[in-house]
Amino acid sequence: MTTKCVRLILLTLLLLHSSCMKWEYGLEEEFQNDASERGLFICNEGNFQYGNATLSYYNPETKEVQNEVFYRANAMKLGDIAQSMVIRNGIGWVVVNNSHVIFAIDVNTFKEVGRITNLTSPRYIHFLSDEKAYVTQIWDNRIFIVNPKRYEITGYIDVPKMTMESGSTEQMVQYGKYVYVNCWSYQNRILKIDTETDQVVDELVVGIQPTSLVMDCNNKLWTITDGGYEGSPYGHEAPSLYRIDAESFTIEKQFKFEFGDWPSEVQLNGTKDKLYWLNDDVWEMDVTADRVPVRPFLPYNGTIYYGLTVDPTNGDVYIADAIDYVQQGMVYRYSKDRELIDSFYVGIIPGAFCWK
Amino acid sequence: MKRLLVILCTTLIPFIVTAQETDAESWAKRDFHIKEVMVYGQRPMKEIGTQQTKIDSIVLKENIALSMADVLTFNSSIFVKNYGRATLSTVAFRGTSPSHTQVSWNGMKINNPMLGMTDFSMIPSYFIDDASLLHGTSSVNETGGGLGGAVKLSTKPADAKGFGLQYVQGIGSFKTFDEFLRLTYGNDHWQTSTRAVFSSSPNDYKFRNHDKKENIYDEDMNIIDQYYPIERNRSGSYKDLHILQEVYYNTGRGDRFGLNAWYINSNRELAMLTVDHGDDTDFDNRQREQTFRGVLSWDHLRNDWKIGAKAGYIYTWMAYDYKRDVGNGTMMHMTRSRSRINTFYGQVDGEYHIGNKWLFTANLSLHQHIVESEDKNIIRQDGGKAIVGYRKGRPELSGSISAKWRPIDRIGLSVVVREEMFGKEWTPIIPALFIDGVLSKRGNIVAKASVSRNYRFPTLNDLYFLPGGNPDLKKESGWTYDAGLSFAVGREGIYSLSGSANWFESFIEDWIIWLPTTKGFFSPENIKDVHAYGVELKADLNVALTKEWQLGLNGTFSWTPSINRGEPRTPADQSVGKQLPYVPEFSSTITGRLSWRRWTFLYKWCYYSERYTMSSNDISLTGKLPPYFMSNISLEKVLTFSWADLSLKGTINNLFDEEYLSVLSRPMPGINFEIFIGITPKW
Repeated sequence: MTTKCVRLILLTLLLLHSSCMKWEYGLEEEFQNDASERGLFICNEGNFQYGNATLSYYNPETKEVQNEVFYRANAMKLGDIAQSMVIRNGIGWVVVNNSHVIFAIDVNTFKEVGRITNLTSPRYIHFLSDEKAYVTQIWDNRIFIVNPKRYEITGYIDVPKMTMESGSTEQMVQYGKYVYVNCWSYQNRILKIDTETDQVVDELVVGIQPTSLVMDCNNKLWTITDGGYEGSPYGHEAPSLYRIDAESFTIEKQFKFEFGDWPSEVQLNGTKDKLYWLNDDVWEMDVTADRVPVRPFLPYNGTIYYGLTVDPTNGDVYIADAIDYVQQGMVYRYSKDRELIDSFYVGIIPGAFCWK
Repeated sequence: MKRLLVILCTTLIPFIVTAQETDAESWAKRDFHIKEVMVYGQRPMKEIGTQQTKIDSIVLKENIALSMADVLTFNSSIFVKNYGRATLSTVAFRGTSPSHTQVSWNGMKINNPMLGMTDFSMIPSYFIDDASLLHGTSSVNETGGGLGGAVKLSTKPADAKGFGLQYVQGIGSFKTFDEFLRLTYGNDHWQTSTRAVFSSSPNDYKFRNHDKKENIYDEDMNIIDQYYPIERNRSGSYKDLHILQEVYYNTGRGDRFGLNAWYINSNRELAMLTVDHGDDTDFDNRQREQTFRGVLSWDHLRNDWKIGAKAGYIYTWMAYDYKRDVGNGTMMHMTRSRSRINTFYGQVDGEYHIGNKWLFTANLSLHQHIVESEDKNIIRQDGGKAIVGYRKGRPELSGSISAKWRPIDRIGLSVVVREEMFGKEWTPIIPALFIDGVLSKRGNIVAKASVSRNYRFPTLNDLYFLPGGNPDLKKESGWTYDAGLSFAVGREGIYSLSGSANWFESFIEDWIIWLPTTKGFFSPENIKDVHAYGVELKADLNVALTKEWQLGLNGTFSWTPSINRGEPRTPADQSVGKQLPYVPEFSSTITGRLSWRRWTFLYKWCYYSERYTMSSNDISLTGKLPPYFMSNISLEKVLTFSWADLSLKGTINNLFDEEYLSVLSRPMPGINFEIFIGITPKW
């Protein structure tokens, strides 16, 4: 009887053992794109705390899209919340917010060439030289100074009137030796940083929560505020689009939106003379215009667009639709004449673009 | 200090010196019992037509390291979404979301009123004496809002005679220590019990990280090699203390009084993701909780009627701190959030029998929540300080009446009418209809069917959380239909075999989901209509193979499609008609127990089919959660001496040392071990 029971136990163990649940390793794929080929990288944020951010690559000439290129080229995950990307000298720098990392990749092979780690909560990277760059953060009142060549954090810029908990620095543009930064979450300022001393030398108060920052062909900074939200102890107001003169660091124009509007994602075309942004619809405006157009560039079609970019060579407009934020998002490509040229699925929550 | 020592001695010594035969002792001596086959005529009137899973007390008391999340994983058809060892564990009952499962403890709802869900990893199974799952419609008998179902947890008197003591020490892998102490005292009128559990571990299990590679650079910072690192679970330690005090008084003349008080002090780090490239020594990510739950109860019983009243209170303080070292060893807050919840609870209920054919019940309960949420400290535009958060109160009133009728032995009918008020908003009438009938006396084959309407109100965070709370949310609503067959056969002392097959169908409208906004925060919306349906199978076999060998087998199987039937959000939306993410379509559990004399061998197995991580059910390289199989075993030996009973137990979890994930980027431990030594003195 005892032997039978032991056999029964062993048989049960054997039957119930399975190896289907394996946590798989990736397989490295070889990519070799032409260095002269134009391309568009799409940072798909993924879901917060799920580590499913991905990088997509789109060829505007062939209209081919490759998804999960970072994973496929490197057999490892990109991380948690792919926030932004810039390219410098053939190297793409992908900022992965909640993974505390910036990956450097070869933009033709998508292979990693290095990484800067242990950042607090990085949002954007701006290069001053091959050996110096600034990295903005959320939940940190410091802008990190890094050496991209050595993949090292080399210093910090302390931002005044900001605690660690309420820290928020975002997009950066450079005019001469000064870098301008918009401060977004529970903030209302544009900072002016002297890149020689790495000090905040001036600040300009705009409206509540400036979301993005660009500089046009006339050296005018443009920022768009979201106005906060109802019930916020920081305030809630009608959002605005601001034009700021970079030289004098003063507001030249303010274009007010309706109270309750949610504008975001101010962008420029390749010649930097046309401004684009999202506010349910997609809007386009000449940088010299005195008022916001009456009609949108592309009307609202029932979804909240999450990302926007303009092809610097031909003015095609790309809009990202995150749909329900837990499936592959869709990118729509329109000509500057508002004709739909292409649409393609990318990763979860496509938020940022980067042109190669 | 001396005074404290005297008090401790005078309090504890009598327990130690005069302990007699207790429930604790029966734990040490517990034997395998062949269950009696239920006779159809004795089916309780209260359970007419209900689909219920009762968790066996042997399962609940299997070992002191288990939480209710572990128990439900291996012994029910519920899917437990586990974010790691000793971390948040939520449930999906019949393909619904965690907030669609209502959980009560001694009658009092313990779902977090801010989040709606319950963390089952925070409920030690050793603190629960009775646990049952009310599937779908059956939950309307107890409460509203259980669109998936309800989990009823309760304690009961230890039935002790004199003083008793039980102490169990567990020592396991990853420097895990579990300790359990129970002191009991009882006589004809009084029963008291004090239970304490303390669990702690650095929880730094090793795993090979398949999501990340480490780089090896040359002097010029060129990558010359890469490898998948073997890492430890970083920042995953925990220390949990639970104390449960119970006092019961029975007048012997039909009145019973009870006091249950449960204190929790938990300090848990939140483990880093597999894709985190931060240095764990630079970050501190921690959640702390202190909760007190207390219930006073009174039951007045007569031959054909019964009334009862309960009063309770819950206080919960939760803190979430995310800090980083700013360079000089000083940890600064990146996030500092606090929440305080006060809940006052009152309930009255009554039952009235007319002969054996009619039972009427009525129940009215009130939960008054007062919550305070502080999510973020900011600096205002004028330079002053402010806190982003909200303070709200909400009464939740729920009342029901029911009539249960058994015109003949073979047939039972039950009608329940419930209504609820949350804040100032009332639900329409919530009806539920149940019917059962004996098809065959020989095999005790019983057919059951039920139908109910149900509603779930948005949680307080859904409505008021800053930023993102949406006060315009509608309540979710649903219809649920159930039908099934059960049987039970056996011979007393030789074998028992029972089983059930149940089909269910639920239609849920206005399902609430939190979605990101362009402003960088999430906000809830009523966006989905969901059709959840499927089949649940259960079987239970107990056999006395010989006088000394006894075998028990228990299994469940569920097929639970949970399909999005809403309108596409955009033309590109691919989620309509697809399974909800993170809800497995198939799940199964098997538990085998083999006993020989005082030895018991236990095998536990569970299976979840692949879980989709996208609403479109696309399977990507970065979003893959393959089927999940898990096997745990344990071997126990009870030694009986004249002075005490000793219990020795060894467990092996993840028997086949699988490298696996339950949730993306959350690695689970490989094979791990724990031994337990229990002592129950005799004096």
